[in-house]
Amino acid sequence: MKSAPFGLGRSNRSPLRGVADSPLLDVNRLTVRFGGLVAVSELDLDVIEGSITSIIGPNGAGKTTAFNCISGIYSPSAGSVRFEGHRLERPLTAGICWRAIGIGLLTGLLCAAAAVDVDRLWLAVVKRGMVTGTPFTLVDATTRLRGYFRAELAIDQMAGKWRVVSADGADVLAITRELSEAKALRNALQAAVTARRVGPGTVPDTSDLADVVEAVPGARQLPTVKEHVLDRLAAGKKRIRWRGWTGLFVGWMLGTAGAMAVWQRGRRSPHIVAQAGISRTFQNIRLFSNMTVLENVLVGLDGRIPGGVLGMLFRTPANRRSEETARCAARDELAFVGLADDANRIAGQLSYGDQRRLEIARALATGARFILLDEPAAGMNPTEATHLASLVEQIRTRGVTVLLIEHHMNVVMRVSDRVAVLDHGVKIAEGTPAEVKRDARVIEAYLGGA
Amino acid sequence: MKNQDPQHSTDFFSRRDRAYEFVRERWDMMALAVLAVAPLCVPALGGALGGQVTTLFIYCILALGLNVVVGYTGLVHLGIAAFFGIGAYIMAILTVPMYPFQIGFLAATIVSVLITAGVGLALGAPTLRLRGDYLAIVTLGFGEVVKVTLRNLEQITGGMKGLNPVPPPGAGVKVAGIDLGLAFAIDPRWFYYLALVSLAGVVLAMRRLEDSRLGRAWVAVREDELAASAMGISATRVKLSAFAMSSAVAGLAGCLYAASLSTTADPNAYDFNRSIMVLCAVILGGLGSIPGTLLGVTILVGFDTVLAPWADSLIQQMNINPSGLILLSFSGWRLAIFGLALVLVMRFRPEGLVPSRRLAAELHEAHP
Repeated sequence: MKSAPFGLGRSNRSPLRGVADSPLLDVNRLTVRFGGLVAVSELDLDVIEGSITSIIGPNGAGKTTAFNCISGIYSPSAGSVRFEGHRLERPLTAGICWRAIGIGLLTGLLCAAAAVDVDRLWLAVVKRGMVTGTPFTLVDATTRLRGYFRAELAIDQMAGKWRVVSADGADVLAITRELSEAKALRNALQAAVTARRVGPGTVPDTSDLADVVEAVPGARQLPTVKEHVLDRLAAGKKRIRWRGWTGLFVGWMLGTAGAMAVWQRGRRSPHIVAQAGISRTFQNIRLFSNMTVLENVLVGLDGRIPGGVLGMLFRTPANRRSEETARCAARDELAFVGLADDANRIAGQLSYGDQRRLEIARALATGARFILLDEPAAGMNPTEATHLASLVEQIRTRGVTVLLIEHHMNVVMRVSDRVAVLDHGVKIAEGTPAEVKRDARVIEAYLGGA
Repeated sequence: MKNQDPQHSTDFFSRRDRAYEFVRERWDMMALAVLAVAPLCVPALGGALGGQVTTLFIYCILALGLNVVVGYTGLVHLGIAAFFGIGAYIMAILTVPMYPFQIGFLAATIVSVLITAGVGLALGAPTLRLRGDYLAIVTLGFGEVVKVTLRNLEQITGGMKGLNPVPPPGAGVKVAGIDLGLAFAIDPRWFYYLALVSLAGVVLAMRRLEDSRLGRAWVAVREDELAASAMGISATRVKLSAFAMSSAVAGLAGCLYAASLSTTADPNAYDFNRSIMVLCAVILGGLGSIPGTLLGVTILVGFDTVLAPWADSLIQQMNINPSGLILLSFSGWRLAIFGLALVLVMRFRPEGLVPSRRLAAELHEAHP
């Protein structure tokens, strides 16, 4: 890897690893279809590192579509684009799988919380800890939590009286004046509930709860506890656990699947291509037109500025240094394309030619090793176009490989090492400028059949 | 444009321009100085007015949070009040005496801000890939979901009663023999200063972010998502950071709100109306502009919480409206005046009252 210019580190965010042999860019049988329309058909293109390659062709030949495919804006319908021997896609790594599982787990916990009724869980674990008079301890809270998931009877307080209630607080089984009575009653009732069998095939338990209560000294009052309430309490443990596990499992599956779906849809994205080291300009200029010229270039430098949010918030010396370095680098880029004096102007107010050059500066600022220029000389007069041609040659001397779409034949013929000609999405010729100029099919494509 | 560039102005304008430039550069310190001295000079700030102005500051913080998403990043967010509410409720849960946590104001604020940022991330991660209207619907829906959840989790949030009393900051902390919490409870000027300092801190943080890598990335994504993406900026990640930042700031505002009212109020305090009011304030003041946002909140919320009650009491005192007709009460016209103000601003100054430099440039270009 070449040393980065301007003392800024190269972006190390690239998810594509490894370095392979040239060609730098290898487009292999690339096909793009929009519905029934074939915009690019089986395009083969190799770009050698350090070269300037041009793609020319009549309007609608599929040049920009090929560009969009290389830069990750479109996905190819068939074929592949390899840069330094790697596909321009985010690979499936263990980290992504773990993250998906983690997200799934969080979703699962959320679903489980809803399924086991987090509101009543809170009542059981936190609020009951505050009413029973003893200080709130984590151990007690854990016990109550366990009790909730075992659907055990609990004690709480209401209007100065102690109550024996079901774990979720929905059923009140007994009311007493003293805490000790309540505790004894709770244990007795719990034993009765535990002993109760429910489900198909079990003989209905007819043991009288009043006996249970009478056996407890000091117990005074017991509201009539209906059979179905007891049945519900006895089945409570099974039910709450079933709900919790189901919620966790369903949420986990959904969350993991969702995270993987998001990964899949974001696999090919322009920023991944850019982070791999391919940058581009646009046919219809796409500057950040309300930002200043300098800021535009600074956005290009974004991936190469180190430091996190906290550094920015507290303006640490490291952050200030990296900002300053970035500004210097941005000014250098502007000087490179000849816009040094316009740094503080609003980008949208620049002339058309200057905007095109600013786009080039912004693309170069990303530290790309490969740059796609989409009609950089469009709308320029011959003098400006000549300047642009020398700019493109200077870009090459920086060690940046250039792929160019251009209609100005003077520019193309002057700067290109190789030229590929597209017509109706098909490559009809490729070679040195001189070869292409002589090619009969190219002449036919441009001038029409004889 | 002319006024912003003193070098090219004629002598005739130079003095005015210099004054304008001075205000433009130094408005923040001037405003801070005036607001810092005000409670010492204006006794009314020690009474109900102090509480109202504190609320105003808190809304300023909330609006600055919303401004990150709506102004800088250009996403439509109709549910900021939900994050405000989550911040307030977490503050309350962690400090009210009925729950065992009671970790104190500062710790609760930190936890609350972190949790609201996390909720923002959790909401944003799956939804920020949506564009425009769809995101607006998601945030709108989220706002409603949070409100209904807060209302229905009665055991946790106290339902319609809300959670109270939220103890004042520094309760139990003694400084020079004075209980700080008691001082906060007695004199509203303590809260006034706390809110003012928080607001100043948020303004400073926003300035720094505006002028850093992250702020530029936010604006770049707003201006042209595809171009930003082709420059190696992950648009999703940038939007997510804006979302998290905005949620965190809204959570901070919520904490201050709950502490200053010493209650979370009922969940309806965090409904769609509040989101829309803050959004209106940001748009009125100028999207992506810090002074604009502050001015917008001061006008809209100030009107609502300070001016309208004052005018009402004045009408009552002067005995103009003894029968209590709603048509004659000032606050009855509140929404009409809101609407009129917004229509007028959108007609005559669509970039907002104090537009951000960038948007101003755009609109001046459009109308040369």
